[in-house]
Amino acid sequence: MLFAGIDIGSLTAQAVLLDDGNIILSKSINVKPNPVESARAVMGELLEENNLSWSDIGHCVSTGYGREKIQDEGMAQQNVSEISCHGLGALSLVPQVRTVIDIGGQDAKVIRVDERGELVDFVMNDKCAAGTGRFLEVMCRTLGVALEELGPMSQRAKNHIHLSSRCSIYAETEVLHYLQRGVDRASLAAGINRSMAHRVMALIRRVGVEKEVLMSGGVAKNVAVRAELEKMMNVKMVTPRLDPQLIGAYGASIIASRAGGAT
Amino acid sequence: MITMGIDVGNLLSKVVILNGDSLLSSGIIETTGNIASEIDGLAASVLSDSGLGREKVEGAAGTGSGAKLLKDVDFCEDEVSCVGVAAGYLLPEISMAVDIGGQSITAILLDEEGEVMNFMRNDKCASGSGRFLEVMSGAVGIGVDGIDETAAGAKKPVHISSQCGVFAESEVISHVNAGEDAADIVAGLCDAVASIVVAQARKFGVDEKYTLTGGVARIDSITRVIREKLGGTYYQFPHDPRLASAVGAALLAGME
Repeated sequence: MLFAGIDIGSLTAQAVLLDDGNIILSKSINVKPNPVESARAVMGELLEENNLSWSDIGHCVSTGYGREKIQDEGMAQQNVSEISCHGLGALSLVPQVRTVIDIGGQDAKVIRVDERGELVDFVMNDKCAAGTGRFLEVMCRTLGVALEELGPMSQRAKNHIHLSSRCSIYAETEVLHYLQRGVDRASLAAGINRSMAHRVMALIRRVGVEKEVLMSGGVAKNVAVRAELEKMMNVKMVTPRLDPQLIGAYGASIIASRAGGAT
Repeated sequence: MITMGIDVGNLLSKVVILNGDSLLSSGIIETTGNIASEIDGLAASVLSDSGLGREKVEGAAGTGSGAKLLKDVDFCEDEVSCVGVAAGYLLPEISMAVDIGGQSITAILLDEEGEVMNFMRNDKCASGSGRFLEVMSGAVGIGVDGIDETAAGAKKPVHISSQCGVFAESEVISHVNAGEDAADIVAGLCDAVASIVVAQARKFGVDEKYTLTGGVARIDSITRVIREKLGGTYYQFPHDPRLASAVGAALLAGME
């Protein structure tokens, strides 16, 4: 019997399958026009590639955008908030985790959990693109750099260009002006990643930091943002043995396995 | 007395020539990276439109975020003071001016003498600014100048829920892709900008006698909604509202 978690983000959709509490399979795709289609596609592809079918899944939990609709469509038996899923997913990977910084494509959350994975406090920004993955996306488009290149590139920078604009739209104009003046992309990338970390840090300060700290979501893959945040918090973050983008879906699958009677 | 006002704004630069408080001529160009040299050309052409030589100009003042680039002015003054003077002098009845510029929204409170009492400005976030409108109208495939014409055909304005320019752009694009009528999307945008402006103005209280200045004040589909939402009494700025800051600078040049 398998247990599944589906996590629909703003840019990517993830599915994780558990067998006896261990991840056996996972899949990440770019989102479809609506969450239900994304859920059907990501699970469908994961099952098909492994010669499995929906009937092999004992219990499935949906989280993220449209989690209720996904349950209504019968793909999941239960839906749980992404805050709980990220907290539980992180704690299951590293039991000492007390703070989870989850930065997705369109929002940023800082989640504080206790030793049982229960939510202690959390804060979220989904109103302003600054400090979310979208900011980095907009900046990469302006720089003409692939998203996954932004972190490594800024580590090669000799200078940090300080961006004075917080607003993504104004920062775009600012970066464009620097490019026109011939400032090198690496120095700009370093400034962009630092600006990103500053916005996230403002959010972190509102709930405080307790060790250990784990970063989840797509932006966790940006080495420069991670390094800047570690410097600002003065805390070395733990590195999970799982792709940080899968942590929400992993948390959902753990809830599914508990609900489905697995140990 | 002949005076000149020059406003080097974030998106547009303007020059006006006044005779006392009446406008003789004016000109507007985009602010580019070369504005320091281009502004002299604009000033010369506006002067020539007025039929006067430079020697007739008895006072010149500059304002705007790029004012420090100006060489041929007697002094510079901040935009809030300039908009305040222009609004208070030309419309003595009003107690508030809301200036919606390329990269800012400023609510300016005026006392009975038309002096600036207090102001509140958002220039940290593009929400509701001229730049916001540029991005949004671009996403629909029209320019800022096409907003009124497009919005006129709206039947059922769509609701734009995001205030953030980046998120609102995605929202607009998804409405475009969903096949919504451009008129309804643009009308929805106008409602959204009006709500943001009204929220800023409301911080100073309601039922004021007010005017609207800056580029966004030229767009009737937006000012109409602002007036509905804000209540109070609206006084139309007597010139192109983009010129308010430059007119204020020229008035100040005459008062020195």
